[in-house]
Amino acid sequence: MTSLEKIKSSLKSIFRKRHKREYIDIAITKFFQLVTILSASFIIIIVIFIAREGIKPFISNNDGLGRVDLVSFLTGTTWLRGPTFQSNLYSVGFIIINTLYIALLSLLIAMPIGVLSALFIAKIAPKRLAGFLRTVVELLAAIPSIVFGLFGSSVILSMVYNLAKLFGVQSPGGNSVLATVLVLVMMILPTITALSEVAIRSVGKDIEEGSLALGATKTQTHFKVILTSAKSGIFASAILGIGRALGEATAVSLVAGNARSGPSFGFFEITSTLTSTMLQGLKETIGLDYDIRFSVGIVLMIVILITNIILNYFKKRIGQVYVK
Amino acid sequence: MSNKRKRYDFIMKTITYVASSVAIIILFMIVFFVVRNGTNLLSFDLLTSDYHSHVYNGGIDPVTDFSQTSKPDHLTDEDYYSQKWGIALSDGEGKQGEERVIVSFVAEDSPLNHMVNRNDSNDEDFQIKEGYIIQMIKFEGRQSALEIYGAQYMINSLEEVDTFRELVFAEVGGGIRGSLLTTLYTIGLTLIVALPVGIFTAIYFNEFANKNKFTQFMRTLIDTLTGVPSIIFGLMGLAVFVPLTVRYTPATSGNILSGSLTLAVILLPVIIKSTEESLKVVPDDFRQASLALGANHTQTTFKVVLPSALPGILTATLLSIGRIIGESAALIFAVGTAIKDDISIFGKSTTLSVHIWSLLTDEPANIPLATTIALIILMVVLGLNLLVKLLSIKFMKKFS
Repeated sequence: MTSLEKIKSSLKSIFRKRHKREYIDIAITKFFQLVTILSASFIIIIVIFIAREGIKPFISNNDGLGRVDLVSFLTGTTWLRGPTFQSNLYSVGFIIINTLYIALLSLLIAMPIGVLSALFIAKIAPKRLAGFLRTVVELLAAIPSIVFGLFGSSVILSMVYNLAKLFGVQSPGGNSVLATVLVLVMMILPTITALSEVAIRSVGKDIEEGSLALGATKTQTHFKVILTSAKSGIFASAILGIGRALGEATAVSLVAGNARSGPSFGFFEITSTLTSTMLQGLKETIGLDYDIRFSVGIVLMIVILITNIILNYFKKRIGQVYVK
Repeated sequence: MSNKRKRYDFIMKTITYVASSVAIIILFMIVFFVVRNGTNLLSFDLLTSDYHSHVYNGGIDPVTDFSQTSKPDHLTDEDYYSQKWGIALSDGEGKQGEERVIVSFVAEDSPLNHMVNRNDSNDEDFQIKEGYIIQMIKFEGRQSALEIYGAQYMINSLEEVDTFRELVFAEVGGGIRGSLLTTLYTIGLTLIVALPVGIFTAIYFNEFANKNKFTQFMRTLIDTLTGVPSIIFGLMGLAVFVPLTVRYTPATSGNILSGSLTLAVILLPVIIKSTEESLKVVPDDFRQASLALGANHTQTTFKVVLPSALPGILTATLLSIGRIIGESAALIFAVGTAIKDDISIFGKSTTLSVHIWSLLTDEPANIPLATTIALIILMVVLGLNLLVKLLSIKFMKKFS
């Protein structure tokens, strides 16, 4: 067959006589495919547009303020040196450290509580109690972050303030690392509990029964066999939990205290995270002080991405060890 | 079993009990806090009145005939009445619990009904009415009566004079009608955009798509969307949807439409996932039977598969509404934080959540009103979640 004939026959197959319904089918399929491509493209749109806005402060003149230096932006220990709107000396180095520190601390507290609750719900609690607890966890997960922020800024702040007094520390209104961590623990606890519970329940019955048959008590089986078998799933819950902790914005911004320099490691020191920095003073700001928030957004996305990659690497390594 | 082991078992078991009580304690503390502090201000008035109090400055022409009406019977001793001016005032509280002087009665022949509007003579709403507050009365040649002096002082001062320079009165502000309307608009607009796109995507994946790398790639992209924090979506709204709406609509800055579009993107993965799951449950027999009867793919999808997937779509919708009501970070960027009373799709405004954020970041923070709004949000969101749970139990029974 010559190439001309090939084209002819393929054209024929495209333009062959079809039933009207067939055309509808093709049209609908194409339309749905288009919508799907649109849905899938949003993540790309997000990356492109935020990158475009966020790179601006580093390459443009910023209305006479001059370019922001990328290295000092990523390594500095003061958010802004010099007066607002008149300086380009922004840096987020210490804020990155603050953000990671706070997220890790929250995870450290929320993990044991969450995993043990999950174990209780999945294996130990009577059926009704388990159902009730599951509802409690679901409701807790559904509470919007602004409500956590309100609760944090009125209850937790005063609690932390009094606690600081007890230790003889003057805490500015209670805004502190501790308050931020407590609020985040409350917010990521339901995520960790719900996902760990799924992981624990999916552990095979044979493993559990094998352990019991060998003479281990139920409690020993739960802690030494089931938890270790479910650890890959539990690790996945930690990844989601830390993702939520890193990206949480409104609640954190209401209790962190917006430290302008750092990093702050003391429990009663005021602090700031990438998200709280993006929100701080948003009501009255323009120019570079506004644009730089997109740059902080890029940093936040990169921090989340790198944390995910590292944790997933560990998850893979842990997941390879099976209890036999 | 040795004693040591028993003790170990007991301790470990107790620890799990303690750990799982933490979630209950947290939920209880939050609900208790919000309910206890939020119910004081909760009233129907709050939901229907404006946030910004409209202040009127009334002047008066020389009065010739004063009011003749005597104190009506329905007024109590708490209401101070001036027969001369035909007005009764009482001490009350504003929506945020602050002290206010409230107009409790205005007689029909009161000279105050003929006040002159000092700001805008064309304003037809200019009329002192029951329920308004009086902020201040300025007199000629004597001290002004301020609202902090109380209703009795104001009435006494009024009784002693025949005219005054200015009477400043206002509707009571602090209501959340604007934010409530904005929330409803946002829910509507977001669902109009997100539901079709989400459902069509789910149908494409489950019914039409070939299992190839491109489909898998698109799936991965959508899954990635789930892990993006909402503040990043806010930035996207600011960088994409705000310029887009400013260009093609009358909007001039962040607006409800740009906020809704942003929320629609946030909700896409939720809707897609939930719809797809309910599509998967529909047995293949249904599809084959429909095809065998001569229906084409499109007919099968819309007339056979989709109706069976409706419960899943309903669940997704209810959960989405909860998410829209609770969302704050994204909307702070994509719409803004200015609390408004006149709501337009192309104008700035705040949903209830952003209203709370705006109140909390003001100086000084208005915690009582914020807690009341939080109570409303919490009731709706928790109610929706329980409803979803009940519905899913019901449908599970139906299908099994």
